[in-house]
Amino acid sequence: MMSESLSMIEMRNVSKHFGNVIALNDISLKVHAGEVMCLLGDNGAGKSTLIKTLSGVHKPSHGQMFVEGREIRFKSPAYALDAGIATVFQDLAMIPLMSITRNFFMGREPTVGWGPFKRIDWHYADRIAMAEMAKIGIDVRDPSQPVGTLSGGERQCVAIARAVYFGAKVLILDEPTSALGVKQASVVLRYIAKARADGLAVIFITHNVHHAYPVADAFTLLKRGSSLGTFRKDAISREEVLNMMAGGAELESLDAELAEFQRDQGAASDSSASSAAHPGNGTPLTSG
Amino acid sequence: MPTLTRRIAGSLATTLLLSLPALPALAQDSPHRFVMVTHGVPSDPFWTVVKNGAEAAADEIGAELEYRAPSTFDMAKMQQLAEAAVASDPDGLILSFTDEDALGKVVREATDNGIPVITINSGGDLSKQYGALLHVGQSEYEAGQRAAEKMQEMGVEKGLCVNHEQGNQGLDQRCEGFISGFDGNADQLATSHDPTEIRNAIVAYLNQHRDIDGILTLGSLTADPMIQAMQDQGATDQFVLGTFDLSPIILEAVDAGELDFAIDQQQYLQGYLPVIFLEQYAEHGLMPAGDVATGPAFVTQDNAAQVIELSKQGIR
Amino acid sequence: MNTMTQTRSPNGGDERITAIPFWKKALRRPELGAVAGTILVIAFFLVAASGTGMFTPAGIMNFLEVSAQLGILATAAALLMIGGEFDLSIGSMVGLAGIVIAIPTMEYGWPLWAALLLAFACAVLVGWVNGYLVNRTGLPSFIVTLAFLFILRGLAIGLSRLLTGRTQIGGIAERIPGDWFAALFSGEVGSGLFAWLAAHGWIGTNFAGNPVVTGIPVSIVWWLALTAIATWVLLCTPYGNWIFASGGDANAARNSGVPVRRVKISLFIFTALSATVFASLQVMDTGSADTIRGLLKELEAIIAVVIGGALLTGGYGSAIGAALGALIFGMVQMGIFYTGVNTDWFKVFLGVMLLVAVLFNNFVRKKAMESK
Repeated sequence: MMSESLSMIEMRNVSKHFGNVIALNDISLKVHAGEVMCLLGDNGAGKSTLIKTLSGVHKPSHGQMFVEGREIRFKSPAYALDAGIATVFQDLAMIPLMSITRNFFMGREPTVGWGPFKRIDWHYADRIAMAEMAKIGIDVRDPSQPVGTLSGGERQCVAIARAVYFGAKVLILDEPTSALGVKQASVVLRYIAKARADGLAVIFITHNVHHAYPVADAFTLLKRGSSLGTFRKDAISREEVLNMMAGGAELESLDAELAEFQRDQGAASDSSASSAAHPGNGTPLTSG
Repeated sequence: MPTLTRRIAGSLATTLLLSLPALPALAQDSPHRFVMVTHGVPSDPFWTVVKNGAEAAADEIGAELEYRAPSTFDMAKMQQLAEAAVASDPDGLILSFTDEDALGKVVREATDNGIPVITINSGGDLSKQYGALLHVGQSEYEAGQRAAEKMQEMGVEKGLCVNHEQGNQGLDQRCEGFISGFDGNADQLATSHDPTEIRNAIVAYLNQHRDIDGILTLGSLTADPMIQAMQDQGATDQFVLGTFDLSPIILEAVDAGELDFAIDQQQYLQGYLPVIFLEQYAEHGLMPAGDVATGPAFVTQDNAAQVIELSKQGIR
Repeated sequence: MNTMTQTRSPNGGDERITAIPFWKKALRRPELGAVAGTILVIAFFLVAASGTGMFTPAGIMNFLEVSAQLGILATAAALLMIGGEFDLSIGSMVGLAGIVIAIPTMEYGWPLWAALLLAFACAVLVGWVNGYLVNRTGLPSFIVTLAFLFILRGLAIGLSRLLTGRTQIGGIAERIPGDWFAALFSGEVGSGLFAWLAAHGWIGTNFAGNPVVTGIPVSIVWWLALTAIATWVLLCTPYGNWIFASGGDANAARNSGVPVRRVKISLFIFTALSATVFASLQVMDTGSADTIRGLLKELEAIIAVVIGGALLTGGYGSAIGAALGALIFGMVQMGIFYTGVNTDWFKVFLGVMLLVAVLFNNFVRKKAMESK
């Protein structure tokens, strides 16, 4: 693999503190060009903090970050964008009331003219938006239709297509498939594979191992702000990933708890059924 | 000798004072505190003059004056302000008695608690029933009638009363008096507070009702746009134009002959006199026996110039 | 030749864009409902006020002037509402700006242009403070600007009482002639044209026997110009796209590199400036300033914007819609004087007509969405 030679993005011993809370603790990770890194972890493991640090929303408290070997410091998300790091947030990707074209070029509108007559080149913008959507297999009849009329998977694809079009070298995807049905998820996954083939570094956050496993080259596991390690795909099986993600021991205890809960609920519904019968008879309730 | 007389006089005074415990606050050295509650929104130029009068009186006699008014024309809010004023137990309460239902019981409550009350501006016919000592103001209804009479003297056949604050009893009574003065042959035009809207409403109404030949406005808020509408159309001579209340703009228009008359109720006195009267009452138990009518007084082209100077000082 | 290359273009983009009929695009515009509402209101008055002169040149000018003044505020309020915020301090800013123009001119002998510039500078400051506080505190702009509704009105009253002892300042009309800046806010446009029309007897005379229309009030010109500029900005410029984005979803916009804070602050400054334009027009028009000016205008502006099809939640709306909303508002407000309805019922009439206009416009918009 060519990956060892060129690391697209790298975090070295990055920590992030919010007051007393340590949200990220000494995280190091590397993603190469043409590689999909899958970031796994439970809620509260620090995934969103990690993403936001990578995309310039948060500044790391300690540690360094590198893009293509050069150290970088982001003052704002705009700097991260300029450095080629594009983040597609789970639900914040698109503005439903705005047209596809307006969304596609949001913040980076192509203009013609000069001075006070500088205006958006809508003809060009519409053409590009449609062409880029067509590349990922989504047929847009009218680029001025609101994004709200697209399906969830299509919206994610618009967001990703936008990131790629604007020269993203690193693509960070925050649970892009979690709200999608099987068919729509596969549209997104296929697109992720395509982005990898185009030489992008992809960081893919998900809960769903079945979505992660087919496209990922490596897995990094986060727990309570710390990294539990990075595993190459050839070194780990789907079941092991699944186990690691949920935490085997925790799953077992969950099984036990669930069984207990079901028993309780069964008893409760029995008793409620029987007590409901009493008022119908007009007899006073007796404890029973 | 002198020391003896002084001693006798001193003891005499003490006995006198002790023998007259019924008079309130006679021995007090600290200044008296009077509260004035009116319905005049702070931006109303009319009430600015009333407030100037009250403040001038308080300055002259060294009394403490608190002036309170709701920020919008709102009886409920004014009632709350008046109740709060009574609760603060002042040496006297001055109240514009615009609404019997909302304010009657407040006046009653004040007089029951021994707080002397003087009503001003409106509600003169009712205030005595609730125990107020005196009223200082003009009868709005009669003033409206007088305006109608004046217009008829000047040859008006059908009048128009422009009311910018429907629901204000004082203004409504002016219009009612005006209409009754015309034996019903007059209209009322209700408008908003906005000068452009008032002006255009007057123009639209006149275009619609071409038999109107006399227009009465109820304050400078409506008078200015009316004058402007007439100036724009060059029609000041075509109508008899009158207004209530004075402002620099109104007075200049009267002086220039664009406005035929302005009805002044000399509202400076409605602020000034009650403070003086209450001070006299608190100090010596003195109070005029009858109500004080501060208006209506007509300002016409003849006396406008004199009034203008006073108006610039915020006295008329 | 040209069409040939187009059909051969790889994704067939071009000809499909042009294939979407104009009327279908029009149906999706936010101001569609307002157009329908305007037609309804005009139709109502054509019947209810027929033969009364409401739709003569003079009558039209009469209600257009009221619409224009509100429309100036509504245009700015529309951009701000599309940007996701409210400004309830507009009305009070009108009162304050008038005082700031009048006091230096009449009390301290400033030239009018300098006082006007001072008022506009104050507006920039007020708008910036509003925007800064909203950005900084994250509080709803509703609350922050409500505070300024009171503060600015109180400042207007307090300052004018302190410095002049009055709340109404007159005599400004005499200072207008020869003032280059005041000329922008006073007088009429195209008086020559109307004089010519009157000379040929093509426009009638009013109750005073004058030509009914002597020119187009400058406020109407301001209104049309601001609406046109705002529409251009919204539809054609990157800044317009940022306004939509900031109001649609501030987080998404920020993540895409839109300077949301700057956009919002500039919009607050624009509403304060529009209030000052309104105040300047009224001060020049009436020749006086009054602390009560602009009372309730903030709500009227919001009503006009909503009639114009904007969403209260932001991210959607149009400046043309706001202009139509203001048109409806002015027409209804002045229309009652032609209908013969007793003016005691003025506010009921106004409220009912506005409600009907909004309901009808909502109905039409829904129908249009369904038919797509």
